[in-house]
Amino acid sequence: MKKFLIKVNGNQYEVEVEEIRVDGGQQPVKEVRATAPAAPVAAPAAAPAPKAEAPQASATVPAGASTIKAPMPGTILRVNVSAGDAVKKGQVLLILEAMKMENEIVAPADGKIASVNVENGRSVNAGEVLVSMA
Amino acid sequence: MANIDKIKQLQDKKDRLELGGGVDSIEKQHKSGKMTARERISELFDENSFVEVDAFVETRGIDFDMQKKKVPGDGVVTGYGTINGRLVFVSSQDFTVIGGSLGEMHAKKITKVMDMAIKMGAPFISINDSGGARIQEGIDSLSGFGEIFYRNTLASGVIPQISVIMGPCAGGAVYSPAITDFIFMVEKTSYMFITGPEVIKSVTGEEVTGEILGGADSQNSISGVAHFKSPTEKDCIYEIKRLISFLPDNNVSDAPKYGSNDDLNKMVYELNEIIPDGANKPYDMKQIIENIVDGGDFFEIQQHFAQNIIIGFGRLNGGTVGIIANQPKVMAGVLDVNTSDKAARFIRFCDAFNIPIITFTDVPGYLPGVGQEHSGVIRHGAKLLYAFSEASVPKINIIVRKAYGGAYIAMNSKHLGADMVYAWPSAEIAVMGPEGAANIIFRKEITTAANPAEARAQKIDEYREKFSNPYIAAARGYVDDVIEPATTRIRLINALEMLASKRDNRPSKKHGNIPL
Repeated sequence: MKKFLIKVNGNQYEVEVEEIRVDGGQQPVKEVRATAPAAPVAAPAAAPAPKAEAPQASATVPAGASTIKAPMPGTILRVNVSAGDAVKKGQVLLILEAMKMENEIVAPADGKIASVNVENGRSVNAGEVLVSMA
Repeated sequence: MANIDKIKQLQDKKDRLELGGGVDSIEKQHKSGKMTARERISELFDENSFVEVDAFVETRGIDFDMQKKKVPGDGVVTGYGTINGRLVFVSSQDFTVIGGSLGEMHAKKITKVMDMAIKMGAPFISINDSGGARIQEGIDSLSGFGEIFYRNTLASGVIPQISVIMGPCAGGAVYSPAITDFIFMVEKTSYMFITGPEVIKSVTGEEVTGEILGGADSQNSISGVAHFKSPTEKDCIYEIKRLISFLPDNNVSDAPKYGSNDDLNKMVYELNEIIPDGANKPYDMKQIIENIVDGGDFFEIQQHFAQNIIIGFGRLNGGTVGIIANQPKVMAGVLDVNTSDKAARFIRFCDAFNIPIITFTDVPGYLPGVGQEHSGVIRHGAKLLYAFSEASVPKINIIVRKAYGGAYIAMNSKHLGADMVYAWPSAEIAVMGPEGAANIIFRKEITTAANPAEARAQKIDEYREKFSNPYIAAARGYVDDVIEPATTRIRLINALEMLASKRDNRPSKKHGNIPL
C-alpha cells in the first residue's frame, strides 16, 4: 500500500494505491481507492500511473503550471528529473530521440518541476505534454 | 512686422513644434516607459546630424472639429541624418499628437521621405507608435496607408527598410512593417495585430490580452512576424545601429568593410573538436559560427523563431556575409514549414543586397508528420530551394555533418548553384540515413537471416562505412574539397576573395514566381 498526496485544480487529495494481481498473477493492474476527501476527479489523476517508483508519470498538469511539449514525434530516451525538483534555465530535463537525434529538452526558465508526464520508452507525438513546471 | 520679429516668430513656432502634443502628453509617454518621437530620433542618429523635413505640415481635415485638434507636424517627425556617418532616412510617429494617428498629411510626410530614400539610395527606418488610421479623415487616411505600402513594395530590394514598433501598430498599419525587411519590437510596450482583443472577443469569443495576442514575445517566438525584441527602447535602438552596420546603403552598393584585427590565416583548432563522435548526438551550431566569423561577432536574426535553423550576419576579413545554418540542438535541425520560410526570406534579402551567402549544413531531412504535410511543407519547403537557386551572389556551403536526401539538395547544394561546397571529414552525404537505407537495400538479406536484428545492425554499419562519408560526393565533384575543420575560416575567406568578381547571367524575365 502506498499513499500519495495529489493536487487537482488546487485541491489536495490523499490517495492510497495498492498493487493487486488478476489472471493468476499474469497481469499486474492498479486499483485506486480515494480516501477523504473522496472525489471522483482524484481517480483519473492517479489511475494511469504505471510504476510505483514513478508515481508522477502521466500525472495531470497542475493548474497554473506551464507545460513543456514535445517539439516533434519521437521516443523518450531518458528522464533526468522528477516532480518537485528545482531546475535551472537551460538544464536538460529529458532526452527525446527523434530524427535519429538525441534531442535535449531543456528548462525554458528557472523553476520547479510540477509533474513529469512521460516515462522512458514512451512514444510521444508532437505537442504532447512532457513535463510541467511551476 | 519687422524682419527681426519674423525671425523671432519663426523661433517661437519651432519651439512649439518641438513639444509635439504638449508637456502633459510627453510626461505620460515617459511614464509608460516610452521615449518621444524626437528623443528616439536623437538616440538613433549621430549627434546633431538629424535634419527635419516638413515640420510645418498640418492636417487639411475639416470634419469633426479637426481644426481645433490641428497640430503642426501632424503626428509624425520625418527627415534624415547619419548613423555612424552613413545617410539614413527616418519617419517617427508622435503618439502625443492625436495618438500618432495616420491622416492624409501625416502619410504624405512619410511617403515624401520614402521617395527621397529611394532616390538617394539610403536605408529607411520607420518608427511606429500610432493608434492607427485617423477616423476623422476617413478614406483620405486609408489612401495614406495605401501610398505607404506601395512605396514599401517599390523600395523592397532597392534600399534596406527597417520597421521599429515602439507602441501600438494595429489594423492596416501592420502591413507596412510586414513588407519591410526587418521588424524590431520592444517588450511590454509594443504590439502588432490585425484585429485587437475586443474585436476577437466579439467575433470568435476568444479572450486574450494584447500582450499575448501580439506583444514582442508572441510576434518573435510564435508567429515569426518580428525579427528582434529588446527589453528597452535604448537597447532596441542599439540593435538597429548594429544591424545597419552590416548592411549596404542600397542594391548597387556593397556593405561597408570594416578593418578586422582578426587574422585571416587563423587556424581554428576548436573546430576540430565540436562535432560529437555519435551521429545522434546534438551540439550547438552557434559555436561553429562564432569560431569562424571575425571577432566571434555573430548578429543573429529571428533568434526566437524556428530555432532549428539559424540566420544572421557576420563578417569575414571585414566584409559582411549572410549565414544560414541548421541547428542540431533544436529539433535535430530538421527543415520544416517555419525554417523554410525563415531561411528563404533571409536568402532573398542577402541576394538583393549583394551579401555573400554561407551555409553550414547538418540536416537530417524534412520533418515527417501529418501536421507538416497539411500545413503545406511542400509549398513552404520549396521556397528554400527556390531562394538558393535564384540567388546569384557568391554561395558557399560547408557540410559539417549530415546532409541527407531532399534536405541535402535544399541546403545550398552544388546542384542548386553553390559556387563552392566544402565538407568536413565528419560529413555524411547520402540519399538517406544508414538505418533507413539498409532497411531498403538489404531487406531480403535481413529478413532471411538467422538473426535479423544482428544482420540489420551489420548492414547498417556496412552502409555507414561505405556511403555515409564525404568522399562519394567528392568523387563526383559535388563537393569541391574535403577540409580539416580548423582550416574553414581560411578557406572561406579565400573562396570569398575568389568569388568577388562573380558574374552570373540569368535568362531575363520580369520576375520569377516563388511558391508562397
